Amino acid sequence: MIERLARILSTVVWVVVAFAVTASILWVSGYSVTEVFSGAVQGAVTAVGAFVSTIRWTIPLFLIALGVTIGFRAGFFNIGGQGQFYVGACAALVVSLGWRAGPAWLVISAGMAAAVAAGAAWSLIPGYLRVRFGTDEVLTTLMMSFIGALVLQYLTAGPMRNPQGTGQTAASERIPDAFRLTGSSGVSAAVLAAAAVAAAAVWLLLERTRFGLSMDLAGRNPTMARWQGINIQKVGLVSFGLAGALAGFAGAVELFGPAARLITGFSPTVGFNAVVVALVGMLSVPGVALSALFFGGLQSAILFLPIVTDVPPPALTLLHGMVALLVTVRLRARRRRASGGPEPVET
Amino acid sequence: MRALQDVNLDLAAGRIHALVGQNGAGKTTLARVLAGLQVPDRGRVWMMGREIPGGNVRAAQEAGLAMVHQHFSLPPSFTVAEALELTAARPGGRPVYRRGQLERRWRREVAGLDGIPSLSARIRDLPVEARQSLEIVRASASQARVLLLDEPTALLTPSSTESLFERLRQLPDDGITVLVVLHKLREVEEVADTVSVLRDGRLILDAVEMEEVGQGRLSDAIVGPARAGGAAVFEGTAPSSSSSSGGGRVHLRLKGVSTAGFSAEVGLQEVGLHVEAGEIVGVAGVEGNGQRSLVSAIAGLSGVEQGEIHIGGEEAAADPPARRRRRGLRLVPFDRYTEGVSSSAPLWLNQSSLRLVQRSGVRRSVVSVRRLRASAGQALDRWRVRYQTVTQPASSLSGGNLQRLILSRELDEGVEILVAAQPTRGLDFAAAEFVRRALVGMRDIGAGVLLVSSDLDELFEMSDRLLVMLGGRITAEFRPPYDRRAVGDAMTGAVR
Repeated sequence: MIERLARILSTVVWVVVAFAVTASILWVSGYSVTEVFSGAVQGAVTAVGAFVSTIRWTIPLFLIALGVTIGFRAGFFNIGGQGQFYVGACAALVVSLGWRAGPAWLVISAGMAAAVAAGAAWSLIPGYLRVRFGTDEVLTTLMMSFIGALVLQYLTAGPMRNPQGTGQTAASERIPDAFRLTGSSGVSAAVLAAAAVAAAAVWLLLERTRFGLSMDLAGRNPTMARWQGINIQKVGLVSFGLAGALAGFAGAVELFGPAARLITGFSPTVGFNAVVVALVGMLSVPGVALSALFFGGLQSAILFLPIVTDVPPPALTLLHGMVALLVTVRLRARRRRASGGPEPVET
Repeated sequence: MRALQDVNLDLAAGRIHALVGQNGAGKTTLARVLAGLQVPDRGRVWMMGREIPGGNVRAAQEAGLAMVHQHFSLPPSFTVAEALELTAARPGGRPVYRRGQLERRWRREVAGLDGIPSLSARIRDLPVEARQSLEIVRASASQARVLLLDEPTALLTPSSTESLFERLRQLPDDGITVLVVLHKLREVEEVADTVSVLRDGRLILDAVEMEEVGQGRLSDAIVGPARAGGAAVFEGTAPSSSSSSGGGRVHLRLKGVSTAGFSAEVGLQEVGLHVEAGEIVGVAGVEGNGQRSLVSAIAGLSGVEQGEIHIGGEEAAADPPARRRRRGLRLVPFDRYTEGVSSSAPLWLNQSSLRLVQRSGVRRSVVSVRRLRASAGQALDRWRVRYQTVTQPASSLSGGNLQRLILSRELDEGVEILVAAQPTRGLDFAAAEFVRRALVGMRDIGAGVLLVSSDLDELFEMSDRLLVMLGGRITAEFRPPYDRRAVGDAMTGAVR
């Protein structure tokens, strides 16, 4: 218990340090620190529509970060959320544009299912390579993300392109309004309920199932797990599949919710930010929820800041980056400690 | 406890010196001290009259020492010529090379070696024997005056051992001194001029001429006298015979099992054995002779090339590990820290892992963590593990307590066959006794126990039968009363 409190405290301290470093950089550069941070609070919470906007940005981050959490708990650095998110959105787009006349509930359900399947499949490719051949999943999931971005680009610039579209970025046609789950705010009871159900299911899986507990053991020490008879290949594949499914689901929510159409390169960093969200949330579902809310608020504030101050939005991007950096430093330190076990016995 | 204690050793120049001893006797530590890889707490090393500063690899190399490591050190992705150039500290090196130049440079040294198709072959594609001989080429090309080989024969077949020894015998003619760490007495007799024996970090024989030492004396020096009161007593009072107490039901049977090597160890070659209900079968052997391969084949961690494994009377060679566990297979792994527990996970999770796999008491997919914690706590109490809370990480337990945790998990219910690998290694006397009593208790309730150990006293004390492994085979079987010398000879492959 005390150990857990200490871990939570250390995370909070790191975030505070990130705030302090960002503040000092802003101050040295001649900006008003108070103005920036009060702008951030307004943009995330107090301004009209700000909190809804925070929730809107929280939801995809949260869903993808849940998947990242599953992967990390199983001992895999599946950082391919971005690509899984994209192919999920693309699959949902293909379903909803291909079946415009269908009944809304059926098309949405089919679109969601397709998104989940596509995300899972996208993640299972590096997953299979990992458990079968030991291919480093950090590299493969990252590469699959780039390929996923190209799939999106192909669809929006090619077969699904909006012929009336103007401007430089290619975008798909809009899905029929009947298929929308939210208004342009991107938040509705249906979407919130979906996120809550996903969170509850992931929590149950990780903390209260035989499989989740075995996965935890396998993630912490695969050698021991094998000696115990845990099938670590199966654990690995399921974790990859679930992570991709959640990211793909996030893509469908994005399409049926706020986006309504797909634009080449939309939300280009959400999948990577989700990794930071999962780490700041210390790989626990409640922690990830809080951390997603924090980063969702930051995202909202970044968009809002130019409206209320003349401080450039990168000031808050800086804060985002600083938190990510410090959390990563901590992760590396922990990973090194974990691998630096006792010296092998001399013979 | 120290790895080495007050070792004084003089090695005459231009001869082949063998260093032998059991596992953990300090052989590798001594080699590492000589090579400057390890700083001794006390003591000094001289070579050719020059003192070598402790822990300085460079100084040792410059004084003329070259070491051939137990595990090969040539970079696997390099070509033969590249690897030699990189690792042989040889004069006249230039910063930039073309491949052809390199190959011309090394052609003569490599000529006549078996298993090396060309100088542009990659190290990783070479057979073990060829890599071994390249290590020696590398060492001798760096104009070494002293060549140190740490268990060079561990991975070699008899015929390549023979050709290795031929190469070694030529070295003294060039004035090179050789110190070679060996396991098998036959090999010592074949190649060495003098022999030194380490036991528990102390030097028992100090570079004695081979003519002056018989094999019997050598085995005795390596194995040591019986532990006071231990084996001596048990040699008189053999445990009751298995057939009467357990009804002779066979819990574990291996028939002609052959496997590939497991974690850099020799594989099994047509191993057959059986463990009946109510008996402890000991497995003795110098480490690295297939014990790991044996245990991992039984556990299902590595595949079997041919042969049959029966667990609880049913063929299990194709079964995944979990099914073998459900049939009542219990394991105490070799390394309790890395194989036995997940050190960052809480005690309760480590304690319940087997129940999760076996689904005993947790039949449904969704489990009650509260109940798991409670039953884990009870089991830990029963096995007298000292802990504060079931949520503390396993890494917070001492070695003895950790082993009790493992026993509490493996032995609490449904034990048919227990495979215990080095279960008392590194434990203090009391903790080791506790573990031994637990094994005897398992036998007495009718389980079959296979005990793999490198502690001969322990094996003599515990075993109803004793098998000896050598080179991936079971080469001898003994029954009490055990003859320490005969077992020692079988372990080292000595022929008397």
